[in-house]
Amino acid sequence: MSDAAHPEILVSTDWVAKHLADTDRIRVIESNEDVLLYATGHLHNAVHVDWQTDLQDPDVRDYISQDQFEALCSRLGIRPDTTLVFYGDKSNWWATYAFWTFTMFGHADCRVMDGGRTKWEAEGRTLTTDVPAFESTDYTAQHPEPSIRAFRDDVLAHMNAGGPMVDVRSPAEYIGEISHAPHSPASEPALRAGHIPGASNVPWGRAANADGTFKSRDELEAIYLDEQGLNPSEETITYCRIGERSSHTWFVLRYLLGFDNVRNYDGSWTEWGNLVGAPVEKGVPDNASEIAG
Amino acid sequence: MNTRLREIAAELAAAPRDFQVELLLEHARDFPPLPDAFQAARDAGLGRIHECQAEVYFFPQVTTESGRQTVHLHADIPGHAPTQRALVGILIDAYDGATPEEVAAIPDDLLRQLGVAALLGPQRQHGFAGVLSRLKHGVAEAAA
Repeated sequence: MSDAAHPEILVSTDWVAKHLADTDRIRVIESNEDVLLYATGHLHNAVHVDWQTDLQDPDVRDYISQDQFEALCSRLGIRPDTTLVFYGDKSNWWATYAFWTFTMFGHADCRVMDGGRTKWEAEGRTLTTDVPAFESTDYTAQHPEPSIRAFRDDVLAHMNAGGPMVDVRSPAEYIGEISHAPHSPASEPALRAGHIPGASNVPWGRAANADGTFKSRDELEAIYLDEQGLNPSEETITYCRIGERSSHTWFVLRYLLGFDNVRNYDGSWTEWGNLVGAPVEKGVPDNASEIAG
Repeated sequence: MNTRLREIAAELAAAPRDFQVELLLEHARDFPPLPDAFQAARDAGLGRIHECQAEVYFFPQVTTESGRQTVHLHADIPGHAPTQRALVGILIDAYDGATPEEVAAIPDDLLRQLGVAALLGPQRQHGFAGVLSRLKHGVAEAAA
């Protein structure tokens, strides 16, 4: 999207196709919801980073440590000045989650391939099952950005100050209906349903086209600025259920719409909806148009 | 676990991680197509399991012949979802044609017993727990 606030962050499938062999300067990283998808076929020279098994600590509910992140980058042959291009399934939902995580840990040059796997495949481009191996590096992160992550106390303070928040879950989750069927435990259960008071509701997928690409800047401004009344100069927090869908919206607000200060609350509803004493708002907000779509 | 599931588990649990991926992809490739008779129900959104990120539709049935109950498992997982196709495919492989009692006895920590829990990570294990719970409940209801 050439009119994005930071257009260099989005690269096209064409650009990636032309740079697949440039492994000295560029590392293409596939990140999916489905852990086996990469093994079924991926871009030539692309490496796999899984949002759970590579980026999350298996014991503590948190990301891996800075040291583990640096070890991961070293194993993938990444240097501090390597250009990383993320892509994946589901309109780059998980690619933007990996992008957010790598940015938080301090990798400077991260990009996203617009359209992800869906567009690459739709264009009939080549996939391979060959797993590349790159000479390992001694990686040190140069620009950690812990400020793009919001913790629950940050969110509470933000809520009390009346700061804008975007809940990117489905309207049913936002309104507080119990959406899972009887006899079937929700996969990431929360003991309370609803949303953080003051949050508006824009399901994450509204920012994506059917072909997996991001919508145009005009279309995104119509949703987030005109319809929701968000302001790019105001501190804004995004959240969903576990912080992955909201990293897609975080990406849209920061890079495509140029928001100065937007944080992703990765604790999201599975934390908030289980916190003793946390305020919960239910139902349709006064401005019902906020949940349209 | 019944005999067939024990065979699958023994093979998977003994395999190194890379080979586990290959074995799971084989199960995903072997995932049987949804019979035509169920396609209208699937298109109407029936049988959808909402615990999964991937769309998973399950249509468990139980028939009775000469006093013996037999479970018939049909499922559909559209799109690119090899992990769910592999795991649900393993359940169909092992339990299509089994008895309701065998289905009820599937261990709830199946992924751990298959040795693939670490490969999948915690959230995907929760998602599959929802699938297994729905399967057991659906079969128990059909058998009642």
